[in-house]
Amino acid sequence: MIWFWRVLSAFVRRELSALGGYRAAFVVRLLGLGLAVGSMIFLARFVGAAANPHLVGYGGNYLGFMVLGVLAAEFQQVGVSGLAQRIRTAQMMGTLEAELATPAPPWMVLGAPPMYEFGAAALRSTAYLVAATFLLGLDLKRANWGSVALAVPLVIGAFSGLGLLAAGTTMLVRRLNPVAMVIGSLSFFLSGVLYPVSVLPDWLRAVGRLLPLTHTLAVLRGALLVGAGPAALVDSFVALLIFASVLAPVGAGVFAFALRRARIDGSLSHY
Amino acid sequence: MSGAPAVVAEGLGKVFRPPAGLGEMLRGRFFGRPLVALTQVSFSVAPGEVVCVMGPNGAGKSTLVRILGGLLMPSSGSARVGGIDVSTGGAAFRHRVAFVVGDERSFHYRVSGRANLHYFAALHGLPAAEARRRSAALLERVGLGDAADRRYREYSRGMKQRLALARGMLADPEVLLLDEPTLGLDPRGARDLRAFLREQVVRTPGRTAIVCSNDPVEARALADRVLFLEGGKLHADAPPERIEAELGL
Repeated sequence: MIWFWRVLSAFVRRELSALGGYRAAFVVRLLGLGLAVGSMIFLARFVGAAANPHLVGYGGNYLGFMVLGVLAAEFQQVGVSGLAQRIRTAQMMGTLEAELATPAPPWMVLGAPPMYEFGAAALRSTAYLVAATFLLGLDLKRANWGSVALAVPLVIGAFSGLGLLAAGTTMLVRRLNPVAMVIGSLSFFLSGVLYPVSVLPDWLRAVGRLLPLTHTLAVLRGALLVGAGPAALVDSFVALLIFASVLAPVGAGVFAFALRRARIDGSLSHY
Repeated sequence: MSGAPAVVAEGLGKVFRPPAGLGEMLRGRFFGRPLVALTQVSFSVAPGEVVCVMGPNGAGKSTLVRILGGLLMPSSGSARVGGIDVSTGGAAFRHRVAFVVGDERSFHYRVSGRANLHYFAALHGLPAAEARRRSAALLERVGLGDAADRRYREYSRGMKQRLALARGMLADPEVLLLDEPTLGLDPRGARDLRAFLREQVVRTPGRTAIVCSNDPVEARALADRVLFLEGGKLHADAPPERIEAELGL
């Protein structure tokens, strides 16, 4: 484990060093974040202008509902696409073969970048929440942080499992991430990122329950907006536990198979 | 080190099966025509010996060293490097064997040579302080001390090759595999790098090296023995002088 932390910290130092060459991109990204927050403010004003029965279960607060939806969707995006994106980039840049020729096992070589991305996403999320709380009056006083803490490892397990599945598929088909595209689009549509799932017809809601993001949002919104404890959110916790227990080993198996195939067909060094 | 060979290949073969094109897929085939890269290649290398693998483009040189480096699985036969089967490999194998990739894309081009080396030192399991010390020493040794903090993309081709050599020596490996180390260098750069390789890298006591090249000058300068591959088959295994005479190189 110490070895992994060495790799992770060296990776973070290298990325921060590379950021020095991306100053303009960094400014543009900050500007983009500012515009996104601005859009959320006006959308929240527009949607929240009148009482909405669909938001009663979320404290009647569309701003909080939407901010948490966007943050969780971004976390899923990082989890599902991070590793696949990293593999694609490393194959295209040509670094993957050289990294896998070192004594570090593949999970260590390929695990550090998604961890870095998760960390960066967590920082962005914290900044969003702080900004929404202090600038826009988002009320998190009732938040049940115990439920959030319980959910985090389950959510990371489920998203990482999907990420391994997506990365393995990317290596096998040598195209960027069909799994991530399908999961991302379906989740945005059916998990209730921008609107509550209660507005969906029953059959679409049933399909949405098969997606980890649906349960992630149920737990996060319940815990942070109305202070729900683990007992009140037990269905979603069980669903996330099942997703993590199934997706993580299946994803790891698919990824190990894909890595072996890459060693057979010689595709570690090309894309 | 014992008298056992450092590298043994027995009947190594490699057949690539590229993915099928759309037309072939429509005919129910998932793979294109098989490409035979290596056929029944057998040889051994003694500890401390320097062997040059020569042959024209497409002869199977890179495929052979990638198999010996554990980056590619053989289709048939077996190979042991440092007493470890290359197909099972693992961390112990990679601590003892270094594969120096000639591909200049194998570093992060937006950060310095030093930062690149620090990252690879971490992948070798070195603590940060040791990584800094070892990287600095190696950068000096390969003549990049003054350029260590310049971005990799600003390096010349020769500097990139030297950085790749420094990376290969991070773990002080028993067996060094070099894939065309002077490829793309101008004659003077190639001569300087060959001299450096001979004096500082491959002639280190106890170190076994396999160098891929299609340059007879390189073979004469570096190797005790030459393996000549053609069409994926081992055509000759002899000292460099004889290979030149036999094959008229």
